[in-house]
Amino acid sequence: MFEEPQPIKFKYFTPGVIILCLIAINGLAFIAARIIFGIGSVTNLNNLYPWGLWIGVDVAAGVALAAGGFTSAALGHVMHKEQFHAIVRPALLTAMLGYTFVAMAVAVDIGRYYYIWHPLVMWNPNSALFEVGICVMIYLTVLYIEFMPILTEKLNGKIKFNGLLHYLNEPLNKLVNFLDKILSKAMFVFIIAGVVLSTLHQSSLGTLMVIAGNKMHPLWQTPVLPLMFLISAISVGFPMVIFESMLASRSLGIKPEMEVLSKLGRFVGPILGIYLAFKLGDMFIRETFRYLAHFNIESVMFIFEMVFGVIVPLIMFLMDRVLKSPLKLFIGSCLVIFGVLLNRINNFIIAYHPPYSKEAYIPSFGEFSVTIGCIAMLVLLYRLAVRYLPVINLHQHPMKVVIDE
Amino acid sequence: MKKFYLIVIILAIATVGLSSKWQDNKDAKPQKKSVSKAKTTKTGKEKSNQQKMMKKLYTNCKTCHTYEYPTKSDPALVNCPRSKMISVFHRPEEGPIIVKMNDIYGKYGPVIFSHRIHSEMSEMSGGCNGCHHYNTTGPVLKCKKCHAEERKREDLSKPDLNAAYHRQCINCHRQWNRNVNCDGCHKLKENDSEQKIAILVNAVSNAQHPEIPHPEKVVYETKYNKGKFVTFFHDEHNKIFGIQCIECHRDENCIRCHDINRLKKGNNISFQQKKIHKTIDEHHKPCVACHQKQSCDKCHKSNIMDRFNHTITAGWALKHYHQTISCNKCHGGKIGKVNRNCSSCHKKWELGNFNHSVTGIILNENHKEIDCESCHENKNYSVKPVCNSCHDDKNYPKDKPGRIKSIRVVSRK
Amino acid sequence: MKEISRRSFLTSIGAAATGSLAISANQALSQPTNILSEDRRGVLVDTSNCVGCRSCEWACKNAHGIDAGDIESYKDRSVFNNMRRPGIDSYTVVNEFSNEKNPLLPIDVKVQCMHCDKPACVSACIVGAINKHEDGSVVWDTDKCIGCRYCMVACQFQIPVFEFEKAIQPEIRKCDFCYERFKKGKLPACVEICPLEALTYGPRNELIKLARQKIKRNPEKYINYIYGEKEVGGTSWLYLASRDFQSIGLPKLNNKPAPGVSESIQHGIFAYFVPPVALYSWLGAMMWITKRKEEVKQEKEIDYV
Repeated sequence: MFEEPQPIKFKYFTPGVIILCLIAINGLAFIAARIIFGIGSVTNLNNLYPWGLWIGVDVAAGVALAAGGFTSAALGHVMHKEQFHAIVRPALLTAMLGYTFVAMAVAVDIGRYYYIWHPLVMWNPNSALFEVGICVMIYLTVLYIEFMPILTEKLNGKIKFNGLLHYLNEPLNKLVNFLDKILSKAMFVFIIAGVVLSTLHQSSLGTLMVIAGNKMHPLWQTPVLPLMFLISAISVGFPMVIFESMLASRSLGIKPEMEVLSKLGRFVGPILGIYLAFKLGDMFIRETFRYLAHFNIESVMFIFEMVFGVIVPLIMFLMDRVLKSPLKLFIGSCLVIFGVLLNRINNFIIAYHPPYSKEAYIPSFGEFSVTIGCIAMLVLLYRLAVRYLPVINLHQHPMKVVIDE
Repeated sequence: MKKFYLIVIILAIATVGLSSKWQDNKDAKPQKKSVSKAKTTKTGKEKSNQQKMMKKLYTNCKTCHTYEYPTKSDPALVNCPRSKMISVFHRPEEGPIIVKMNDIYGKYGPVIFSHRIHSEMSEMSGGCNGCHHYNTTGPVLKCKKCHAEERKREDLSKPDLNAAYHRQCINCHRQWNRNVNCDGCHKLKENDSEQKIAILVNAVSNAQHPEIPHPEKVVYETKYNKGKFVTFFHDEHNKIFGIQCIECHRDENCIRCHDINRLKKGNNISFQQKKIHKTIDEHHKPCVACHQKQSCDKCHKSNIMDRFNHTITAGWALKHYHQTISCNKCHGGKIGKVNRNCSSCHKKWELGNFNHSVTGIILNENHKEIDCESCHENKNYSVKPVCNSCHDDKNYPKDKPGRIKSIRVVSRK
Repeated sequence: MKEISRRSFLTSIGAAATGSLAISANQALSQPTNILSEDRRGVLVDTSNCVGCRSCEWACKNAHGIDAGDIESYKDRSVFNNMRRPGIDSYTVVNEFSNEKNPLLPIDVKVQCMHCDKPACVSACIVGAINKHEDGSVVWDTDKCIGCRYCMVACQFQIPVFEFEKAIQPEIRKCDFCYERFKKGKLPACVEICPLEALTYGPRNELIKLARQKIKRNPEKYINYIYGEKEVGGTSWLYLASRDFQSIGLPKLNNKPAPGVSESIQHGIFAYFVPPVALYSWLGAMMWITKRKEEVKQEKEIDYV
């Protein structure tokens, strides 16, 4: 019944991929400009708005949307719902790539990227950012370790260097073999660690903006912000897996694994329900609904976020009809992802009102370029990975791989 | 035995105290012995003066100390009741003409301050207190007596000397010229600063405040419905009634005159009233001080008043000598109807001691010896004299009992 | 300046490359200092005494090695037309606000770091590059800073600024209360130069007493409020003014320390690592139990087959 994942052969360069490449190159060019000329040359950031699109989307939303990794790991490995094993590896791959790009985005965003190792040795336990930083660093390592079996599986006994390096073949193969064995035994340690680390930093990302106090609009500023971030991250985990899976199947010409995805979808409704309950409860306890009456960008964005990001998908995911239909499931997932993305943007950009600001911050072309470029690179690497590494399960019906899409 | 010791101790303390006081006196003015002697003779009077002053000030130990036995280490001082402490009051001439301020060394040279001009003007703006604040009775203290020269200090309750100086000057001067530039008062130290300072000292010493122009009249447009306009004849109050400037202008702001916008117009200083927000009492205070029991309509008129005209108001033109004298001379303390009979004022005027020529007519020999009543019927001097009791064919004023003196009208001063 | 930053950049690269983390062993794992000394210093800014001469701006620049230019150029009062904020080349600025009571005496307000008693930036800084010292000063440390700008997000007074235009060793810049001068026993440069002593430097406790005295003595001159006494848990710099502080450019803040909530959340999550370890154990137990179940199930299935 359960087939092992395997590399999928398909044509890598399609017109869409070429466009993605161009977008990625554009992003890289702006990253280069940022490194050579400084942050100010590329971004619209200023002393009033020190954080912008890169932190709000690349980092905060990036981390949230990579939550599929730990939620599916928790479901597949911790709860041992074996039927979901099929989605664990793709989710792991996206999480790994996602976090890698988060780390890269952080490096691009901080003023002294070459000091990015500082938090490892200079600790400030009071700082939420420190916790996020440390957790993300460790979690990234854990993700790499978790990903290792995919590599060792691929490479076990197959390392064949030519020329001078040929005498490395034997020791390397032995090492890979050893790793393969040891990892399969010790993997549970890292899987649990991954889940714990994720809950920690997903929530701490929420704590980040708590310190901004009055500078943040009361619709979002709440002491339970970390909890909100955690629940919303959990809620977006499965929709993200569904979204990726659907997109990958479409792109790679595989039939979507509706059976697994529908089952995954069943989890989404209740989690969204809990999230909505917390959101509304917080709103009524702090009586922030008063601010909804003020018709301004904040209230509109908040309503937008809540209606299209939470309430509509909540209703959708509770309907059997939606769970069974690939298109509706896809749309539902998109809405959840949109909701969380919007929530992060709202939290980090829209809600942030520094004193003395005269005009609002609008990200520059360079910032958009880098953000979109990173996403493009992520997609490209994903394609590359599934092509060469055993990530995707082709179970039930070994598909005939369509080479020309 | 104990009592004896106590007495000895008290005596010892007393002698020490007295001698130290004596010492102080000697130190203070060793050269002017005669003066100090003269002073000592006055001590009795001074003492009573001091007591009077004390009484006036209601000052006793409790004014400054919280309990009766303050010590040096614990003076037990109350929070200073500054408002109760009187301040110096001297006449401008008593102070120095200039003050050369160079207590603080820096890149600037001394500031030459015209004490005379400021003190003269200060009469109208709060008096000596404006600068010599919290100065108890006695000699005028130097600023640095209280204000520390070092900014880093223990007692932060008073600004340091630098700040004390600047706060005195800048708050007025920046209102005058709208800037706080250093070079308004300071001159940079340069090679030839000595000379420049000498020139400056000379210039400031001789500087006089330009004569303050007086308005003739001021019209106030008030909110009083029954009479909107109050016309105030400044010159009359000043020149005729002899009211000194400071009797009304007590707490003026220097800016009343020293405003950059006025200076721009050159010498043509206008005295247009700015809208000033004062309470009704404050507005009326200067007038009511003299015009105590008069009804509103005395001043509040529906039209702008004409200048007081004795001829119209009293029906009796003031001429010659009468123009020159103050109102009170005839009207006493109260302005009102006065008996027009000359003798009501000039009681001693009789035949023989009245020099008729002051009226403008020098009586000829024929008339000199005639009784006053022969011409002025019933001693009514305000009515034109009659001639026909003696002369059938003559009549005043066509015919005169003598020649007319060429009259030099004495102008008011 | 450039030379130094380049050198420190190179050394840091070297340090990173060789992985010789021992170099920073003395800083390693050390929390930032956050001393709340009993006799910490402060400055009482009496805005009614400030005349807007901007000498403080000039002195500040000189004290921090910034090109201050000619002091004569500070006469220019047109700068007051726009409200200014501290920037990378000016750690303090004076703003002017019109005074309805007397237009000739506008209200001038100096702005700089408030040096909070419970500084949000110190709490926020990821590497502990901002420290609060015994004199009350909150000082940024270039050797640690990674340029994440979280301090700027955290600061309730919007004070720290960042050299966005600099590619290598950009700095966070803000008033450091002249900590270097303090160590030499000198007054802060702005306090020293102020011709009117609108800035009174001294122990914070005494300044509060002094401020109260001033208000009591001149109730018509000051509003009965000391800005900074309680704001965000108290600040070293205190302000007196003749009208409400929001109208002269100071933000309205509550009295809770800015880092209070986030720190309590942070310490709640990490209370002696109990919650993470508990979560870890719980997940481990779940994993073990579910695995057993699954195995049993599979065995059953096999039996069934």
